[in-house]
Amino acid sequence: MTAGSLILEVKHVSKSYSENGKEFRVLEDVSFEIHDRDFICIVGPSGCGKSTLLREIVGLDLPTSGEIRFEGKPVQAENPRISMVFQSFALFPWLTVLENVELGLEAHKVPEEERRGKAKKYIDAVGLAGFENAYPRELSGGMKQRVGIARALVMDPTLLCMDEPFSALDALTAQNLRDEILQLWTNPDIPPSAVLMVTHSIDEAVYLADRIVAMSPRPGRIVKIESVDLPRPRNRKEPEFYGWVDEIYSLIV
Amino acid sequence: MPNSPPANEPWKLLADMHPIAKVSVGQILGLVEAIDEVGGSADVATISQEVEMDIDRLGPIIDAAELLNFVKVAEGDLTITELSRKVLHANVRERKKIIRDIIDDVPIFKQVMEMAKVAGRPLSREEVLGTIAAQVGTHNADDLFDALVYWGRYTELVHYDSESEQLTILMPSQ
Amino acid sequence: MAVTRKQLRAAAAVLVLLAAVAAVLAPGAALNAGSLALLALYSTIRMALAFILSLVFAVAFGTAAATSKRAGEVLIPILDILQSVPILAFFPPALLFFYYSLGGSAVGEEFAVIFLIFTSMAWNMAFGVYEALTTLPGDLKEAASVFGVRDWLRFRRLFFPATIPKLVYNSMLSWTVGWFYLVASEAISSGSLNLERPGLGSFIFAAGQRGDVPAILLGIGALAVVVLLLDTFLWRPLSVWSERFRMEQTAGGPTTRTTAPYERLRWLPRFPRIRRWLSARLAPLAKGWNRAASPLDHYYVSHPKLVRTVRWVDLAMFLVILVSVVVTGVVGIAAILTSPMPALAGEIPAAIAASLGRLGLAYASALAWTIPVAAWVVQSPRASRFVTPFLEVVASIPATALFPLIIAFAVLAVGAFGLEAELSAYMVALFAMQWYLLFNLIAGMRSIPGDMREAAKVFGLRGRIYWKRVLLPAIMPSLLTGSITAWGAGWNALIVAEYISYAGHVYRVGAGIGYLIAYSTYTPGDQGRLLLLSVLALVVVVLAMNKLLWRPIIKRASTRFRIEIQ
Repeated sequence: MTAGSLILEVKHVSKSYSENGKEFRVLEDVSFEIHDRDFICIVGPSGCGKSTLLREIVGLDLPTSGEIRFEGKPVQAENPRISMVFQSFALFPWLTVLENVELGLEAHKVPEEERRGKAKKYIDAVGLAGFENAYPRELSGGMKQRVGIARALVMDPTLLCMDEPFSALDALTAQNLRDEILQLWTNPDIPPSAVLMVTHSIDEAVYLADRIVAMSPRPGRIVKIESVDLPRPRNRKEPEFYGWVDEIYSLIV
Repeated sequence: MPNSPPANEPWKLLADMHPIAKVSVGQILGLVEAIDEVGGSADVATISQEVEMDIDRLGPIIDAAELLNFVKVAEGDLTITELSRKVLHANVRERKKIIRDIIDDVPIFKQVMEMAKVAGRPLSREEVLGTIAAQVGTHNADDLFDALVYWGRYTELVHYDSESEQLTILMPSQ
Repeated sequence: MAVTRKQLRAAAAVLVLLAAVAAVLAPGAALNAGSLALLALYSTIRMALAFILSLVFAVAFGTAAATSKRAGEVLIPILDILQSVPILAFFPPALLFFYYSLGGSAVGEEFAVIFLIFTSMAWNMAFGVYEALTTLPGDLKEAASVFGVRDWLRFRRLFFPATIPKLVYNSMLSWTVGWFYLVASEAISSGSLNLERPGLGSFIFAAGQRGDVPAILLGIGALAVVVLLLDTFLWRPLSVWSERFRMEQTAGGPTTRTTAPYERLRWLPRFPRIRRWLSARLAPLAKGWNRAASPLDHYYVSHPKLVRTVRWVDLAMFLVILVSVVVTGVVGIAAILTSPMPALAGEIPAAIAASLGRLGLAYASALAWTIPVAAWVVQSPRASRFVTPFLEVVASIPATALFPLIIAFAVLAVGAFGLEAELSAYMVALFAMQWYLLFNLIAGMRSIPGDMREAAKVFGLRGRIYWKRVLLPAIMPSLLTGSITAWGAGWNALIVAEYISYAGHVYRVGAGIGYLIAYSTYTPGDQGRLLLLSVLALVVVVLAMNKLLWRPIIKRASTRFRIEIQ
């Protein structure tokens, strides 16, 4: 397997909520690792807790038990080395594309000249050059998500987390964006070192990932971690592709 | 598709404008990829099933792709062109350049650029709308303006400030 | 549908011409008009000062209540109660406090007036801020956390912008309400108190005292002009600008619901040039503000301990103030209640009943004419074009400014039966209530989805069935919003209307809680107990109506009709 350095360790993480006196177990004893140059997809039926798990990794939520270590240290929110792309884009409607992308840099006190230059570089990299002064409402869904991606990448993250980033887009735009993500991924100039993506589409996971973490329905447990060794770019029409999809499907059902 | 324009004058359709006005680059490229995946040629029904989009939504995208010479439409069959193969394998920046060369020749763009040169200052939305409406009527003028801004920004030929509603033509920095 | 700029320019030119002609023909009146402009300026400045105070209060209070759960649990109920107290009930204590503590000087009076207007604006603006912040989409907050946007930057980039649409909306609403109280408070002449601050309100009042109808009309006209100018040069550009901060409903298909205050401005053009000029002037200010704020952010981050200490001190101070206010209030009330009941206290229940009846009658009358008129305006584009601006202007005149005219009319109409006070109180209440209903209804009817209307046509739903099954359910939210606001305005109107002095006479209704409150404020002697009891009784009734009438109806309406009520 990949012998890159260890970036993230998820150790026996469980999460439960109590509501009206009853306890809901959402995640149960989840453990896996992410190394340098990993592209990992977590797949599972809805309600299996995969988004919750992602939020715990990013630091927005705390596990009930177990621990998550990033680069050897416990995870904290606002860690600039972990960035996130949201399913609903989460762009600030009153900020331009440029201002949205710069936001994280502004929060970390990067001086204006420098952050402007960096932001423009990544806006160009996602194909949005020319739209720097546009507002989110002037953009299509695919473009909004590109802003989200640029915003995440500009922070130079070690780990890029994506929460069902294409599920709010139409099929054509989504496919186009997936390919561009792969292009960015293979570009050595562009971070991140590793990608962790949550999705409910097995097709998508097999298309993109090096390793797939298959989760069971609630309470979410890891059923199996598969390494997909198809060469990229992958063709969804090839029988091998179908084979993988079928196998993953049988795991999560 | 109704009224296919003569092969070497795709910009004639642009004057009517409806398809390209509501379609994004991502969708056009997505369509090209989808056709490529099934071998480079397929009929509309197959594609519609593949991408899970009904023909109503797909129609404008196909029109726009045809406009840009990325797709050939013949008797209900869609075939990708050499140009689109080139675009598929190009990176983000190269794609822009290819599309810019196409858009540059469109009369409406040329006309607005002339206006800007003559005026020597940024144009207001109202002014440009007026010129466009003179050509295509007020009903489609808004859509055409939005398309102008969209494609203009994409090809980095246009700078538009939606707050002050001012349009500036950028000198092509080839 | 909007009036074009060309038409406005033409209208303005005509008005200027008329004014010039009038000035030439009647130089004396022209001179008076000049002083009117000055008075208008004074009144506007008072409003502006109160507004700025309210803004600061609303942002501070609303943000505190929204960001800290515990603070919210304390602050929101306080706001609730403050909002239910009819504003004019604040006036006597404010007057006493500011006026007498500052030695009966003009400054004290000014403070009292400004404070009164402040109380008419601040609570609902604070609620607006609170609502905007609590409905902030979760993913934006998460994004802010992920990218390290916190504290002051979070406020600047996330919280404050998110409140702007509601703030602008509530500001416009507040100004409309504020004019009402400005006019009522610029001149008080009852009993031992004779206050007068220069302004349009006192001008109208003085004219009323003299029975000088042309002057009254002039004053009302000037007020309308000021409101129109503000609408054109301030509110319309501001509301267009605030659209930028609106959160989109995800996935296109925006059903833009025009809500009542924006309904008012629909007929004005969007004035892009004015906006451009304003934003060009203000942009350097905004940039400077941003630049100045960065060192503050920096300071915040590098001195976390200091920040925490400041927060604790803040909270402690706040708690101390709160506790002392509560204790003083409780002790004061206890003291007053344990002393013997004033003689008139026995009249309170009957007074409440009478006022309730009056308001109920005014409400029913208002509904009777506003529903059909709203339906007509919405259905006929020509009606919309011409009637709306007209209604607009008429509605911008606060009922308090119309007093003298109403009383004169009432005396003429029913003076023979001695019912003029009753009629004028009813009419003032009607005037205060009807515009809220009308504009909310228009907005509600406009937002009936087009396909619902078409379906109704296709199925031949007409007349009573159409009203029962389609129209009424669809306008229920607007009807409720309008009704709640109308009743609030009605109570306040009664406090001024049930006891009026005009042209040397005093007009009072037979029984009314407004009368009791006004009476106990302005009659010399130890009326403190009566005042307190009357105000308490009124607050109890309003709160009871809220909890027992409006809340349940809102609940039923939102589940039954599955619509959201603001």
